[in-house]
Amino acid sequence: MVCVQAMHTTNANILATAVGPHLFWMTSRAAGVAALVLSSLAVCVGLLIGGHLVRGHRPELRVAHEALSLATLATLAVHGLTLLGDGYLHPSLGDIAIPFLSGYKTLWTSMGIVAFWALLALGLSYYARNRIGVQRWRKLHRFAALAWILGIAHSLGQGTDAGQTWFLAMLAIVVVPAVGLLLLRHRRPAATPRPASSAPVPQASVAR
Amino acid sequence: MRRRARRIRRAVAGLAAALFAIAFLAIYVQLASGHDPALVANAARRAAAESSTAAESSSGSESSTATESSGGSESSSESSSSAGEESSSGASAVTTSQS
Repeated sequence: MVCVQAMHTTNANILATAVGPHLFWMTSRAAGVAALVLSSLAVCVGLLIGGHLVRGHRPELRVAHEALSLATLATLAVHGLTLLGDGYLHPSLGDIAIPFLSGYKTLWTSMGIVAFWALLALGLSYYARNRIGVQRWRKLHRFAALAWILGIAHSLGQGTDAGQTWFLAMLAIVVVPAVGLLLLRHRRPAATPRPASSAPVPQASVAR
Repeated sequence: MRRRARRIRRAVAGLAAALFAIAFLAIYVQLASGHDPALVANAARRAAAESSTAAESSSGSESSTATESSGGSESSSESSSSAGEESSSGASAVTTSQS
């Protein structure tokens, strides 16, 4: 009994010492995975709204799209900032924030950085859409899908788990519907704003 | 609508936290069980380097001590096999550095 207990304690100690040095790296990877799922969901919901593919529930979808986008940005921030504590890479703030500065898998890293800044700018520009102009902002916002694709390429090219079955299965589950909706959106003519005679549209929903 | 919006935002925050926790757990289990892709690849690379170094040193000792008794070559093969064991166990050890 004492022997078994000692073995459990030893195993726990081994695990604790084993995971300790990789904590920041693991956190960054987990945040990256979460960001990938959340961004794909945000793209799906955004395309459902933009393509007028769902009748009714538009205000709810709009809130969900906004919340998913903000959650994506938050997890992406965690994904990048936790790498600063990684004992193996030792990246500087510039390495994780400025494209083509890091010497580690430069192309894939830069792709991820560009995707993040693009998502940040295109996402947060929603709050300045009146200043930008709603039509102009709509045109600009379409590039968010391009940034999302860059993010997927970054995860496949640089992701530690990119070759793992669970990762590829998860990626397929969230990416395939979004790509399908994206193709559908591009095949269909651009959605025109609803005529004023139809059901009243809430003020907040006019913008998107 | 405001209440519904708050509920949606809360649900999304919960989803984000759950996704992060599940991913972290999956990575933790993968790492602790010695199946982390980066660490396994690194350990395999190290094992290959060690085995090639051991092979080089053993072939070097064989050529230099060709006239010596067979005991010398036995000891060199022992050392190379033990190095191989160490490196293969290194694949399951999770304290190796990541690639």
